Amino acid sequence: MKRYILHRVALAIPTLFLVSVIVFALMRFMPGDVATRMVEGHAYAPTLKALRHDLGLDRPVHVQYFDWIGGIVLRGDFGQSYWTRQPILEEFVRRFPVTLELAALTILVSVVLGVAVGIVSAVRQDSASDYVGRVLAILALSVPYFGLAVLVVVLPSIYFKWTPVWTYVAFSADPLANLKIMLVPALVFGVTRAGPIMRIMRSALLDVLRQDYIRTAWSKGLGERTIILRHALKNAMIPVISLIGLQAPLYIGGSVIIESIFRLPGVGLFFFEALTRLDYPVVQSVNLIIAAMVVGLNLLIDLSYAFLDPRIRY
Amino acid sequence: MRSWTRASATSREPALAGARVAGGAVTLPARRPESTRPWWADVWIQMLRRKPLGTMGSVIVVVMLVAAVLAEWITPYGFAQTSLRERFISMNGAHWLGTDEIGRDLLTRLIYGARISLYVGFGAVALGSVLATAIGMLSAYFGGRLDLLLQRGVDAWMAFPPLLLLMSIMSMLGPSVWNITIVLGVAFGIQNSRIVRGVALVVKEHTFVESARALGAGHLRTTLTHILPNVMPTLIVVATTGLSTVILTEASLSFLGLGVPPPYPTWGGMLSLAGLDHMYRAPWLAIWPAVALSLAVFGFNMLGDALRDLLDPRLKGG
Repeated sequence: MKRYILHRVALAIPTLFLVSVIVFALMRFMPGDVATRMVEGHAYAPTLKALRHDLGLDRPVHVQYFDWIGGIVLRGDFGQSYWTRQPILEEFVRRFPVTLELAALTILVSVVLGVAVGIVSAVRQDSASDYVGRVLAILALSVPYFGLAVLVVVLPSIYFKWTPVWTYVAFSADPLANLKIMLVPALVFGVTRAGPIMRIMRSALLDVLRQDYIRTAWSKGLGERTIILRHALKNAMIPVISLIGLQAPLYIGGSVIIESIFRLPGVGLFFFEALTRLDYPVVQSVNLIIAAMVVGLNLLIDLSYAFLDPRIRY
Repeated sequence: MRSWTRASATSREPALAGARVAGGAVTLPARRPESTRPWWADVWIQMLRRKPLGTMGSVIVVVMLVAAVLAEWITPYGFAQTSLRERFISMNGAHWLGTDEIGRDLLTRLIYGARISLYVGFGAVALGSVLATAIGMLSAYFGGRLDLLLQRGVDAWMAFPPLLLLMSIMSMLGPSVWNITIVLGVAFGIQNSRIVRGVALVVKEHTFVESARALGAGHLRTTLTHILPNVMPTLIVVATTGLSTVILTEASLSFLGLGVPPPYPTWGGMLSLAGLDHMYRAPWLAIWPAVALSLAVFGFNMLGDALRDLLDPRLKGG
């Protein structure tokens, strides 16, 4: 186990190094130019040259790269925003709980819905409820979450005179008010993500229910509830967990859109605002931090298989 | 969707593609003895008989294709034709789906939107399929250090949340139809090169590849005429299922203002936050683009699912 973890961490290092090179190269070699925009639109400095010098953009590219990556590796310093001069890590840490809460609630909604409907569909295969469940899953797969989010924002306010709350309240300040705000975005995002989970839950459970140990359980005289919930479900959860792991990057990408629709001050909104201002260090560092999280999450998920299925050993 | 069938999940030869894997050995693809039809005709017949949802998906896709191609002839208005006297008109005989904040006909814009979606979708998937085949086959065929190097690159690319990376690239390049097609194509190619590599690794081990080499076929000939035809069914499946993802991603980027720039009408752009204030006044501006986008994604999803079941059951659930 310990050796396996070390091995995986060692493999992650070259991956993250390449990730850092890719984001850095993107920011420097693509046509957009932050300095021009800062001087022309916002008069941050008298001349382009002065600003470039100020930001260190006049140095050779490899010096800039090692300055950035060296700061992260040696000092844990992720740099600061060009526009606000605020340290990036601090801002990221401040906003991360919002995004994490959104992701956690979304996953909760989609797993509860997907697993419940999936179990019913599999256990009552080819019945009316199976059919309804499958149609709902296909619908959920087809409706884009941002379209649904816009409809949820617009339609109730026209027809029911009800609007989702727009001003964000921190969880620590007022947990109940905070949950009220997060509920609608999490429901919208979660419902559209439940489709694939339901489909994979259903097919995995059907697969498990045909195995010998389930037949043994039936012939021992166990009840249906015990067989499904205690014996079959744990095994059938493995593909579901790996799907959630595979989809984790989608939750992060989606949070950019969801946060900008519902005005949640999370990492997604931070990233999007930085993008529209071509704030190189913010875009680079946020991309790198999130990529590192994705790599770490995948490792955690691989380790969780051993818990769910004791036959798996590392 | 039907449950997993043990036989097809374990067998190396998928139901219909099997004919080609087994028969692609030297020259002609083997046909089933009673059938003189080409293999793709069999696929469509199976689709009509056994896959009602897949058939429905194909109908939606065909309708979309026809609408997109004939947009100039079936719409009475231009997609950027404004009429300030006819702002925010709800559904009526002249404007079936109403008009927007500067009096442009919504139905016209939706139909032209289908054209952009398909243009970007097919363009990106075509480019991506070529790229995926190139990377995947190179990696699988030559193996060794080249494989290791290419795969670490793919690993790094896959560590990014796709939307974040695409947003970063598009914000640097600036929104345009060309840029988004190329960027989505490259992303599609790199992601799916894994699948092509997986299939090519299996095909490479067949004896017919060894025989071809022994008969003196060069690397190019071996890969293109012996391995590629056997990778083809998988590639078709990957491309069809990928179309809905690409269309949805284009819509997400256009929604954020990073995809196709105005005045081109795109479904994602029509839904975007920029028009939110108008939607409170004219809810149809939000409803119809969302419906169009959902229908298109539904159509391509169902078509892709059905084709996957018919062509390559090994990919099921993947």
